[in-house]
Amino acid sequence: MTTTVLEPKDMNWLEKGVLGIDWSDGHKGVYPVRYLRLHCPCAACTDEWTGELRLKADDIPMFVAVNDIEPVGRYALKFTFSDGHDTGLFSYTFLRRYCQCDTCVPVKPQEPKSRRLL
Amino acid sequence: MADTSAGQTAQAGGPSKQDLIPDVKHVIAVSSGKGGVGKSTVAANLAVALALSGARVGLMDADIYGPNIPMMMGVPKAPEQQDGKIKPAESHGVKIISMGFFVPEETAVVWRGPMIHTAIQQFFRDVLWGELDYLLLDLPPGTGDAQLTISQLVPLSGAITVTTPQEVALHDVRKGMMMFQKVNVPLLGIIENMSYFVCGHCGERTEIFSTGGGERAAEKLGIPFLGRIPIDPAIRVGGDTGRPIVVANTASPQAAAFREIAAKLAAQFTEKGGGDQPSSPIESMLKKLKRS
Ligand SMILES: Nc1ncnc2c1ncn2[C@@H]1O[C@H](COP(=O)(O)OP(=O)(O)O)[C@@H](O)[C@H]1O
Ligand SMILES: [Mg+2]
Ligand SMILES: [Zn+2]
Ligand SMILES: [Zn+2]
Ligand SMILES: [Zn+2]
Repeated sequence: MTTTVLEPKDMNWLEKGVLGIDWSDGHKGVYPVRYLRLHCPCAACTDEWTGELRLKADDIPMFVAVNDIEPVGRYALKFTFSDGHDTGLFSYTFLRRYCQCDTCVPVKPQEPKSRRLL
Repeated sequence: MADTSAGQTAQAGGPSKQDLIPDVKHVIAVSSGKGGVGKSTVAANLAVALALSGARVGLMDADIYGPNIPMMMGVPKAPEQQDGKIKPAESHGVKIISMGFFVPEETAVVWRGPMIHTAIQQFFRDVLWGELDYLLLDLPPGTGDAQLTISQLVPLSGAITVTTPQEVALHDVRKGMMMFQKVNVPLLGIIENMSYFVCGHCGERTEIFSTGGGERAAEKLGIPFLGRIPIDPAIRVGGDTGRPIVVANTASPQAAAFREIAAKLAAQFTEKGGGDQPSSPIESMLKKLKRS
């Protein structure tokens, strides 16, 4: 086939709370769970038109876990986070673009804090 | 850092979406930009051609607006119920389900998004497909709710697009293909239908429309061109009488064209070692994650 499909080849927990996705393009993606939750692409969390985040970091507990991951067709993953949020479809393209590995994001911005711990 | 836990994930939920049809190896969507280009004709003939080559094949008529697969396949009787599930009808070695079995033709049904979703979900979940090598989906034309639903419900192995050679259809083809690309469905190729006319008397080949449109589109989009099907009144007759041309006239150039395309299609899957069961890799990755 002439088109290479972007999809996960392997997935692992790199450390507690950090999801690793090995992509079909060879890149080893790194995704802290709280980062994913904070950047949820669903309409409630992200403004559909401007792409701006509606979420306030304060809304998201510091300790957020992934309770479930489901595949959606062959293009996205649906995460159920421990705060109950499960409406975001994280497309592979989206995930690949927002990789947080040291190569993609050499200087990590300060992670937005929250007063809520759990 | 987040204290997460992957460990909490193990509790058993409902069956995941990808488990709707665990015993089906390849789900292939047959699509078209607009109606009347021969999508159903192609779906029916390819299904039968694949079955004739020894594969286990199902055909889902998901064209809720004009379900004509039962007529084309000459389905002898509607499906039966069995333990709360639907047993697909069977014809020419192909298992068949169609909205036409459930919606009386006279009634003009207005399909809204959620109804389409539910109906198609039932076609996957509640039909006893059993073990299949290929499940072909005859989609409604264009890009609508049915396409969206299907791309979310099951991991499609790929999509085929049927077009006629006219340039007008090409814009729609491109649009449809882009939709599949967006949801990561591999584009298996374009089939050009009603391409040319073969004289029944002398076998001479006459081009009908401006030719080569399908091939050019495939080239532009960088996807395989699977082949051309000649225009032939016998194809229509076959469709109307429930005997697809690949069984009605096995020696015809039309039947040969369908067989060739079916073989090309099958080769796309067997080349990869036959192990391309899109549902399993991601499923097993996620299972592993949940265990760890
Ligand atoms: N290659 C062909 N030669 C002659 N008639 C054809 C051919 N392909 C399709 N037809 C006829 O054209 C009509 C439309 O085909 P159909 O498969 O129902 O199209 P679609 O599913 O795209 O709406 C049917 O009557 C069918 O028998
Ligand atoms: Mg049709
Ligand atoms: Zn969200
Ligand atoms: Zn990276
Ligand atoms: Zn002649």
